[in-house]
Amino acid sequence: MRYATRAELLAWLDRLAQEVDLIAPRDVDGHVLYRPVRSGAEVLLEYERPELSAKEFLFPSTEVILRIEQRGKDVTLEEVLPDRRQVIFGLRPCDAHGLAAIDALFLHQEPPDAYYRHHRERTTLVGMACTRMWDGCFCTSMGGGPADPTHLDVLVRLAEDGIYILQPVTPKGAAILESLPSAEVRGEPRPVEEYNPPVPVMPTEKWRALFEEQRLWMRHGERCLSCRICTYVCPTCRCYDVVDRVVDVWPGRVLTERIRVWDACTSPNYRRVAGGHNPRPTNWERLRNRFMCKFCYYPEDFGPLGCVGCGRCVVACPVEIDITKVMEDVARG
Amino acid sequence: MPLANPMRPYRGRLVGVRHLATGIKLFQVELLEPEGRAAFAHYKPGQFAFVSAFGAGEAPFGITSTPHRGPLLEFAVNALGHVTHTLHSLDVGDPVGVRGPLGNWFPMEQLRGRNIVILGGGIGGAPLRPVIHTILDHREDYGHLTILWAARSPDLLVFTEEFDEWRSAWATELHVTVDQGGPGWTGNVGLITQLLEKVAPSPENGVAITCGPLIMIHFVFLTLKKLGFAPEQMLTTLEARMHCGIGKCGRCNLGEKFICKDGPVFWQHEIAGFLEGFL
Repeated sequence: MRYATRAELLAWLDRLAQEVDLIAPRDVDGHVLYRPVRSGAEVLLEYERPELSAKEFLFPSTEVILRIEQRGKDVTLEEVLPDRRQVIFGLRPCDAHGLAAIDALFLHQEPPDAYYRHHRERTTLVGMACTRMWDGCFCTSMGGGPADPTHLDVLVRLAEDGIYILQPVTPKGAAILESLPSAEVRGEPRPVEEYNPPVPVMPTEKWRALFEEQRLWMRHGERCLSCRICTYVCPTCRCYDVVDRVVDVWPGRVLTERIRVWDACTSPNYRRVAGGHNPRPTNWERLRNRFMCKFCYYPEDFGPLGCVGCGRCVVACPVEIDITKVMEDVARG
Repeated sequence: MPLANPMRPYRGRLVGVRHLATGIKLFQVELLEPEGRAAFAHYKPGQFAFVSAFGAGEAPFGITSTPHRGPLLEFAVNALGHVTHTLHSLDVGDPVGVRGPLGNWFPMEQLRGRNIVILGGGIGGAPLRPVIHTILDHREDYGHLTILWAARSPDLLVFTEEFDEWRSAWATELHVTVDQGGPGWTGNVGLITQLLEKVAPSPENGVAITCGPLIMIHFVFLTLKKLGFAPEQMLTTLEARMHCGIGKCGRCNLGEKFICKDGPVFWQHEIAGFLEGFL
């Protein structure tokens, strides 16, 4: 266990920012977002839940997976990956939990995803416990908690008198804390101020049994606008598309980037096949797929649930589709 | 940097491009790297691969060749989207990428000694061609072979130049139909399901294998059932838009199944047990 005053913590972050790609919660025009920072001064230490998860730093929303150079009839293919170490500071425990869910598919199912694995290996997760549960959060129902260290390398907790307690969770976490000078101060973590009421989580069989309950899915899904914000803010949604983008053309030479971009099962053309047939043509069928994926398919196929209870989709949905209400309806059966 | 990277294609070169049907071309690909040739040394009937038209993207195609007929990979490509139109603009000597082989395959070992009925609709016949070739090249290993080959119109029939080889093989019959005839067409006119009822292959010791538009697969299964075929006697291969081929990108899910990883080849009784329908 390490202790630091606010000033000591910020000085440590200043140094880290010189050595690694440092990602931390930052105020971006009034929005709290995980963003690259260059100094401790940019880092928020008191903040709510960032509006987006941090998955983009391990699974970028747009990532060049191949650089393709054509010279006449010759082609060279090159993978481009950053080598610098990356530290995500201030990660909320639910977002680390979300990465663990993605790990189950991208790391632990053969063959592993080469890009995600690379980012995962170069990244250290320094989490910051939540002092309370925020609007829409239900992490405690999903096996997590506001101060859950499980999927982090380091957990930072706020004590009284502005003292921060840094708890190493993994050897990787212990290693990064070595550069933090040992402080004189000590403190006890503040208890979590406020918990949200629990949400029922039903076993996958229950979801399976309700697949054909069209009225249930239409009740929630018919007003879906297919805007895809739920999958965008989700820390576990991991569907992707791959496209080529020509970036430069010279006589006899073409440079293309093959990019991987986030995709969403709630978008209308997600399952459309080449001839034009769409096996999932309606918004409620697509939304059903999203919920079934999270609570039935993903856990059956890969282990963990596809939801960590961060509550972002509840807040972000423009037509107030609420995943916790769906869970309650499924529990009522 | 070297990566064990399943998203990286092997480099290949087009060594043959020919017209197969209206809007459909057959591409023959020679793999340039030893790693690529090793990966594709023993691919199986029914497996698929992603073909890259560099600069446009990549898309999955059933492999329509078999390794025992030569080292060239063959793909039948219908020009429908950006990648396929770009592929159609390429010619002999042009570079392409190939990623695979992917997915499961038709259980050819298990089909030995059985009477096989093949039902191909349009370009859906392409992934069935390796099954036909495997049977023809090991003719004594299999029972009677009945091929029902269909298309919307005569100009959309694929692999017509192989009809004579198929017809002349031992214990093999070929029946062809088109939804709509045209000038010079003297053959059957009607849906493949009507032809199937007319030919009425016996379900005894039989296995039917079909591929075509999803709606055709659906009705072929129904007609086979009428003829007495059990779900354990019907195979198909499904298509989906996909971007990885290894069960990661999510695009091809049918409920908890992934067409790329759990398929593309499925028995009818497997499909019947799926939570989400393919249609």
